[in-house]
Amino acid sequence: MPRISLKMVGASGQGINSIGAIIAKGLKRSGYCVFGYREYPSLIKGGHASYQLDVSNQRICSTETKVNVLVALNHHGLELNMEELKQGGIVLHVTPGWQFPEHHRKLIAERSLHVIYFPVDDMLNRLGAGAILSNVLLTAFVWSMLDQDIDALKSLVGAKFAKKKALLELNMRCIDEGYSFVDSEQGTISVALPPPDKGFASHLLITGSQAMGLGAVHAGVRLYAGYPMTPSSPLLSFIAELENKTHVVVKQAEDEITAAQIVSGAMYMGTRALTATSGVGFDLMSETLSLNAMIENPTVFVLAQRPGPATGLPTWTAQGGLLQATSCSAGEFTRCVISVSNSQDAFDLMPVAFNLAEQYQISVIVLTDKQIAEALYTQHPYDLESADIDRGRLVVDPEKLKFLKSSDRFDPHAKGGVSLRWLPGSDAATYCAQGDEHNSIGAVEESSLNTRLQMEKRLRKFDGLKAGLPAPDLSIGGRSAKTIDWMDAGGEIELLAIGWGSTGDVFQDVMCSDELRGRRIAYLHYTYLWPLRTQELQVLAKRSKRIVLVEQNYQGQLGMLIRMSCGLDIPDKILKYDGRPFFYDELLSSVMERCAVTSESEEKSPRFVYADTAS
Amino acid sequence: MNIALQTRSPALSEYYSETKCIWCDGCGNYGIWTAVKYALVELNLHPWQVCLCYDVGCHGNGSDKIEGYRFHGLHGRVIPFAAGAKLANMKVPVIAFGGDGATFSEGIGHLIHGLRSNYPITFVLHNNANYGLTTGQASSLTPQGQPMNTSPNGIPEHTLASMDLIFSLNPTFVARGFSGDIKLMTRILKAAIQHRGFAFVDMLQACPTYNHFATHEYLLDKYFDANAEGHDPSNLQQAKAFATRVQDRIACGILYQREDIPDFYNRLAPRQGLETTCVEEVRKYDVSEYWKELV
Repeated sequence: MPRISLKMVGASGQGINSIGAIIAKGLKRSGYCVFGYREYPSLIKGGHASYQLDVSNQRICSTETKVNVLVALNHHGLELNMEELKQGGIVLHVTPGWQFPEHHRKLIAERSLHVIYFPVDDMLNRLGAGAILSNVLLTAFVWSMLDQDIDALKSLVGAKFAKKKALLELNMRCIDEGYSFVDSEQGTISVALPPPDKGFASHLLITGSQAMGLGAVHAGVRLYAGYPMTPSSPLLSFIAELENKTHVVVKQAEDEITAAQIVSGAMYMGTRALTATSGVGFDLMSETLSLNAMIENPTVFVLAQRPGPATGLPTWTAQGGLLQATSCSAGEFTRCVISVSNSQDAFDLMPVAFNLAEQYQISVIVLTDKQIAEALYTQHPYDLESADIDRGRLVVDPEKLKFLKSSDRFDPHAKGGVSLRWLPGSDAATYCAQGDEHNSIGAVEESSLNTRLQMEKRLRKFDGLKAGLPAPDLSIGGRSAKTIDWMDAGGEIELLAIGWGSTGDVFQDVMCSDELRGRRIAYLHYTYLWPLRTQELQVLAKRSKRIVLVEQNYQGQLGMLIRMSCGLDIPDKILKYDGRPFFYDELLSSVMERCAVTSESEEKSPRFVYADTAS
Repeated sequence: MNIALQTRSPALSEYYSETKCIWCDGCGNYGIWTAVKYALVELNLHPWQVCLCYDVGCHGNGSDKIEGYRFHGLHGRVIPFAAGAKLANMKVPVIAFGGDGATFSEGIGHLIHGLRSNYPITFVLHNNANYGLTTGQASSLTPQGQPMNTSPNGIPEHTLASMDLIFSLNPTFVARGFSGDIKLMTRILKAAIQHRGFAFVDMLQACPTYNHFATHEYLLDKYFDANAEGHDPSNLQQAKAFATRVQDRIACGILYQREDIPDFYNRLAPRQGLETTCVEEVRKYDVSEYWKELV
């Protein structure tokens, strides 16, 4: 798969995001798949931040550590990012008279780098333009290096200033100036892109947070309450930006406890409501999770992960919240934990999460992470037909409401533990959503028999929930495969990797690499993490020469859940816990190392054992 | 409040519960519980038309001693839960109940923001000046120096000036009742439920087991109906004075009310002009219009 990467670096607030966003949109409209990745420190202005675009004419959803073009908006980029350039790469900078140190001069020579000084201040002076327009000049020059049509850029930038004629003209002059710049030493330089695929032109450029917000509205969410915490804040912002169109009630709460309680009250009343938070914010919500279990109140919580403990790395990514989601909060109860993986299922899983919550009258925790929340995806427009709104055993028909008894609400003998539910304000027998242990009408009851029956009712839901969850997604050699086909037949698997969340897309790109294309490498991707369905994994594991766990946490938390659920222990793990996502080239080399080992040790037994047989 | 006209008036018996009361003899909860039922009946509300949300404490043990759609939650959290319930369905009157322990300690942030937000709910403070259900510890409303369980030498902290706090938050409705006067409490509760914003109702309540300083007799002796003595609830200065000065006499009744401030929901620009509730709006939405800018 051909891939090109461009990286804009500079201080936060300098405009790297706006350059990145315009180029991404322009390239997407030209027919390229773009994947955008941001790194930035937790501050508003200053620091060293980056916006990287990885571009291909095929589906691409990962970031490389090496780049073809580095655009440095200040000298820190020249100091810090030179090592990242590929052979023949381009360094575009705006620092007058910059003298590279010796080791960089060596690097420039060795890698045949093209260094271009872009005299942005001279150009601004000549045009009589303010410093804010330096980004337009730079964007236009990068655009010319990419051999893209100047008019496409003009229409993109022009759309922003349609009503401000003077500004529009100045912007257009900047585009002409930047686009026509030729470095006197380097001459005309261009970055060769593969031929475009016009199919991408009609795609969306969307972050995971935007995708999730659209999915939530699609799923019928009518109230959103949240407390700002990266990386959940972009979802709150996006829902709020849309509020005048969607008419959704948006409440920025005084804390996470409040947000969780408001959402729970709203769900109890019968609407669909959502909240999102991260790490320690979810700790504050966890008492409400326990409450909702006891009152059997369907709720959906988004847990957007970042590295911890405590406030950790606020603006970086992690998958360290899996065990928090599956295990936090008082008491034993049934819950469902699912994870989004990219902009596609960030949308698709929102109706699913609410349906599961209402079908089983449980809390569903939807995991995402900073990588998904803020990465920029090239996304096919969403299917608006296939999702259903399934409200489970909710009774709304006035005729049926008449026949309800209070004891129907928490009937311990209800099939699968899921009893009838009806909403406050319905002309029917009433009940108490009781946080103390209670009997079928919600009256407090502490007897031994009742306690056992109600515990069994709530925990019985686990079995039905688990049985109904879809199998994990299997792909072999980068192509989606039917898990069932590979369970009974389908031959030996060279390497079986298991992962979840944002790891999945990077692994897909790795399997599609030229190096690994066509190899019998299987990737089993878990979207539904708790309850954990392991029957497919257990069979596939037996067919695999080697098995590896791929996670962005220290302990291999999915591996722990797998071992807990079925005894399968996976000693080989590719783990990352430095706040960065898996990078394409880095994960590729980790996988290739294992493939090489697999070929060498053909005769050896697989390197995994069942816990119960391990010594 | 937005209550549909009913052809059939509710009877008090509709609120009867099979669950037996378990409060101590002489507990103020009996009086408040009775007044709540009277107020709902007199407002022509059937149990299925109301949502009653209880915090944790002795009062919360009343959640299953009355009919209605009820909720009994976690300590200190009743206000945001009730607010969420109300915002989801503005057609259902929502009444939240909480004790002084939960409300002025663990949940004090929720109280402050509830008042500040002016949620369209009624909040009834069961104020017995101690933590009853956990066996008589001091609350932040217990008088300083009063020996209590876990503070045998008396509590070292200042007593929280609850009414000064309430009035610092620009409330739109403040009332005070006394658990020994059911008629007065009923009048207050009816006005509170009909109030368009956050109605704060402080119910002074006897706790015969743990409160030996503000007993039923003490309160009976000191309380009076300020409205009966001519207090005008629109008089803010007088209301504050009545609310905070309780040494000699304790003013009860509707101390303060203003109706000219919109409640939280009515301040939400996206909800202007909508007749439907969030509960009624749950369906699948076509969101393609919202992604146009992303192409």
